[in-house]
Amino acid sequence: MPSVSTQVTWIVVGYAALVSLLALVLALRHRERPAWLDQMAWMLELLLVVRALAGLTAFRGAGPDSVSTYVGYLIASVCVLPLAMKSVEGDRAVWSSAVVAVAAVAVGVIAVRLEMTA
Amino acid sequence: MSDAPRSGPHKVLLACYALFAVAAGARALVQLTTQYDDAPVAYWLSLGAAITYVLGWWAIRQASVGRTGFASVMLWIELAGVLTVGTLSLVEPAWFPDASVWSEFGIGYGFVPAMLPVAGLLWLRRQKRDAA
Repeated sequence: MPSVSTQVTWIVVGYAALVSLLALVLALRHRERPAWLDQMAWMLELLLVVRALAGLTAFRGAGPDSVSTYVGYLIASVCVLPLAMKSVEGDRAVWSSAVVAVAAVAVGVIAVRLEMTA
Repeated sequence: MSDAPRSGPHKVLLACYALFAVAAGARALVQLTTQYDDAPVAYWLSLGAAITYVLGWWAIRQASVGRTGFASVMLWIELAGVLTVGTLSLVEPAWFPDASVWSEFGIGYGFVPAMLPVAGLLWLRRQKRDAA
């Protein structure tokens, strides 16, 4: 049975893939960014916060191999999406969905790296 | 800030450059401070990549409001950097006991580092055409 943080990681990765795919489809179809994509992005952020909190358990015992690397990923995992959403605040045009797609891919990768460096 | 156009492909480029500036910068700083002797050349080159991304981000920001001069130089420098470091990592592997950000044309990042300056230059060309 994988640990709780590993299970949350896979949920995060799957959900991030879904968000990025939908955002990409919206961008390719030249649609304005709908409110539901924002809601999905913030839901993803919530999952990332849960993952980061679960990730704190990695400091028990011997701790991660490289603490600075792990802490870096931990901080990045919760900061990337809010910064991306801030950069497209008030901009609902087609390219703003592509920014959400990039950010969702990035946090998915960060979640995997978090798992690998724990 | 306020004179930046609200939307456009540059928003995606800016997001990518910001992401890579942080990723390359954090990686370079961690490796330079905790394992310097493993592969100093590779780690310094990673720091160089990070600085290039910061300058690239600024260049694209400037170009998005019509000041394309800096981007015309900076994106070519970035492309040359990726190609040079990528080629060196293949022909002189001894210089790279550990990977740099641009090793093997950014293979560790899904080759995005090689695609970014090309995407940037294509955008810049359209930007200049629209401005003319």
